[in-house]
Amino acid sequence: MPVLDRHFRRYDFEGDLEKALNRVDFFRIFHTMALRYGFEHFGVLQLANEHETSLLASRLLLHDLPAGLAETYDKRYRFNDSAFFKSFYKSTIPTVWRASDRPENGLREGSDFLDQIGFDMALSIPVHSVAGTRYVVLFLGDGEDIERDAHFEICYEANCAFDYYYRQVLANKAGMGLTPRETEILRWISYGKTASEIALIVSVSEHTVNSHTATILKKLDVVNRTQMVAKAIREQIIQ
Amino acid sequence: MTAQVHILLVDDDPAENVILSALMRKVASYAISLHYVETVDGALDFIRAAGVPLDMILMDNRLQPQADFRETVPELRRAGYIGPVGVISSSISDAYFQKIDDYGVDFRIDKAELDPTAIEFILQEYVKRDAGAGI
Repeated sequence: MPVLDRHFRRYDFEGDLEKALNRVDFFRIFHTMALRYGFEHFGVLQLANEHETSLLASRLLLHDLPAGLAETYDKRYRFNDSAFFKSFYKSTIPTVWRASDRPENGLREGSDFLDQIGFDMALSIPVHSVAGTRYVVLFLGDGEDIERDAHFEICYEANCAFDYYYRQVLANKAGMGLTPRETEILRWISYGKTASEIALIVSVSEHTVNSHTATILKKLDVVNRTQMVAKAIREQIIQ
Repeated sequence: MTAQVHILLVDDDPAENVILSALMRKVASYAISLHYVETVDGALDFIRAAGVPLDMILMDNRLQPQADFRETVPELRRAGYIGPVGVISSSISDAYFQKIDDYGVDFRIDKAELDPTAIEFILQEYVKRDAGAGI
């Protein structure tokens, strides 16, 4: 992972971000951030084309919402129709949404995301990756309001955390070199071993093997294990 | 009906079992059976007995007589356990925790961060049984 020049690092909390390795680490970072600022939940939403209908559940890349909440929302409402969703295509300003002050936020009847999802307050922080793709870091809770300073701080922290999350987890890693562990797993795949067999051989969990395999697919820019092995041999990564 | 999952807690402090059991009961979307042993040997016996299909192992980082996860988790792997292993510690920002993957650990979590929401996320992430699927 590219390390930022020290000049760009600000404030202490980035120490945790530098150390974050996997989705659980970023869950911990966003979850504690939400709690620290008086929210209960967070979500990282991927924004695509405004007019492409998609479900809230499928846009949520990482979140700590109660199991099934987004799916229940999708059964009842269309996320694309909410004024909340539409606002992301009108402005990129971080916005506090409160159930108690709908008119100020331009929420119209029938498109009130907060009422639909069942929280009193939301903070939406539009962010983007270095590749230009857009996302929203969302915080939800039942608090009454957030102070100005806290609002500024959480926006900065969420931007930094998202940046690390993107580079570590979401970024397309095509063309990047394989780590020794990834090369080892690739070699065992080429010998015809299954994920559970490889897990036993290299002393990790099956989940870890699958996660490394997914990363190898991304890095080699291939779609399945057969193409992976073929390309690895062609490019002499393995013999 | 909620999905049934079996988690093994390995911790030399029985109080942690009491605390974690209470936390697990607050997780609404999974019916969690928390099994408890105090030592790595106890965990190895549990794995070898194979009476219960374990979905996850949560380990205290420091367990006597071993030093830390770098010694304990490879023992679980050598015994043939290929399910997820999470390490619980109050010092996960120590440098050696950057090497969890090399020692067969799936994730790390601070004791203070273990709440029902975190447990639910971890189960979604590693056990992948849909909550409410009735498995």
